[in-house]
Amino acid sequence: MVSGGEGMEARSRSGTKGMDGRRNYYDVLGIERTATLPQVERAYRFCLEMYGDNALATYSLLQPGEQQEAREHVREAYEVLRDPARRRAYDLSLAQPVFRREIPPPAPAPLAAVPPAAVAFPALEPPVNAPAPAPVHVHVPDPMPAAPAVPPPPPPPTGSGPVALGEPVSGAALRRFREGKGVSLDEIAQKSKISVRFLRYIEDERFDMLPAAVYLRGFLHEYARGVGLEPKGTAEGYLQRVPSL
Amino acid sequence: MTAAALSAPLPRSRREIWCIGGGKGGIGKSLLTASLGWQVARMGRRVVLMDMDLGGANLHTCLGVPQPALTLGDFIRRRVANIDDVAVETSHPSLRLISGASDLLLAANITYQQKMRILNKIRSLDVDIVLIDLGAGTSLNILDFFLLADQGILTVVPEPTSIENGYRFIKSALFRRLRRAAGTSIVREIVDTAFDQKNPLGIKSPLDLLAAVEREDAAEAETMRREMAAFQPRFVVNQVRSPVDASVGHQLVQACARHLGVRATYAGYVDYDDAVWRCVRQRRLFVEVAPRCPAAMKVSQLARSLLDGDSLSLMW
Repeated sequence: MVSGGEGMEARSRSGTKGMDGRRNYYDVLGIERTATLPQVERAYRFCLEMYGDNALATYSLLQPGEQQEAREHVREAYEVLRDPARRRAYDLSLAQPVFRREIPPPAPAPLAAVPPAAVAFPALEPPVNAPAPAPVHVHVPDPMPAAPAVPPPPPPPTGSGPVALGEPVSGAALRRFREGKGVSLDEIAQKSKISVRFLRYIEDERFDMLPAAVYLRGFLHEYARGVGLEPKGTAEGYLQRVPSL
Repeated sequence: MTAAALSAPLPRSRREIWCIGGGKGGIGKSLLTASLGWQVARMGRRVVLMDMDLGGANLHTCLGVPQPALTLGDFIRRRVANIDDVAVETSHPSLRLISGASDLLLAANITYQQKMRILNKIRSLDVDIVLIDLGAGTSLNILDFFLLADQGILTVVPEPTSIENGYRFIKSALFRRLRRAAGTSIVREIVDTAFDQKNPLGIKSPLDLLAAVEREDAAEAETMRREMAAFQPRFVVNQVRSPVDASVGHQLVQACARHLGVRATYAGYVDYDDAVWRCVRQRRLFVEVAPRCPAAMKVSQLARSLLDGDSLSLMW
């Protein structure tokens, strides 16, 4: 059962956020990991209806393209979760962390058991010491890519304005740019509250030491802001180089 | 009599103010307020209805009683000594009606503190539940009372215009709440910017706003997140003609959570029912005259849910 506002997470149209746009298939359908097949079916029909053309609940909230996209995600999630074999494989992939973690991940809790605030309002860019979220899946395609209909908000002004590096963005290129700007890692660490250690791992491309992509993206945004780079493009450019993504 | 003695037989010992709002007019807020109040009174609570619908105060007509000669404003301005003097009796002994301080609310320069004072006066009433019909619209006064209420009930009907206005109401109320909670001038500025739907920051939803604040100030973002979590409007879908209409409430809750970051709940729905308008024509209250009609039964369930803090949930 999914009750009221608890059974789903409340992330926005991804792409407008600094947050990882990934939502797992259970979130997409708004069900728990333990949902039975009939529950999957009912949730699927409900979500399709909710995102249907001219659906009362979403037509004034989303652009038509966003509705369409949401429907595709719902179908994609359903195709996997309705098939016992594919679902098992998917569940296994959910249980695997992308990278070796500094912080041991907590046991993945069913959505309804997570404190409401934590579910509804996940930290956009969690601090280093925050507990890791439920593991991010590895092998499946991103179920919620950036919604193109909504332009991301422009980054805050930083002096002469942010600069974009060419893609992909290497750790060495980041270091060169930072040193060119005369910004120390300590300064970035102070502003961003990300430890120098992690900032150094980013520059050294120590992918094995870096946290899961959902956190890494946040770190990269902070790093980029700290040196006056355009955050989103920089993060995406860097993440392209991460082998296991 | 003390508050403790009053509430002793009740499972919930607190006096509560429920506000009923809705972005759009003509969706049955007044009738819902009147019938809900009647059902709550029937369940043994002492109820006062308060009409703050500036556009068309007509709760008295729904209840079939004459318009009260005195208003809450008369009490607040000390023209009468006792707030009970401005309350009129209705057909149910536990249900009274107070004509709202519409003259006060019409004043544009009423401050937030004054509104809190008005609510404190209302809280001093010797009753269990105060049910306030806020009328249509998203004016600041309406939003503030909605936010100050113990339960903010948002009425919609399953029609595009009403739903659209409902979302507008939710966003406006939440932005208002966040504006009040903002601790720095920069964050206040961001919230003010967000009020404009075509703002240069590209903020369309409260989640966008949260992200914008997050970029500026992590501590403030934490405050915003707490405020957002505490904002829990309760949907009531009125004039439901089919199961599909009824499920719109569930969709609204899900859509609010996913796309606005708002933890709304679905308090209940009320059927579209011919018995209702037949009673309106006779200036009688349908829950009283036709207690077994579908709409009356649903209002009864709704009253129970609101008293118990329950919501309809998706069973799948």
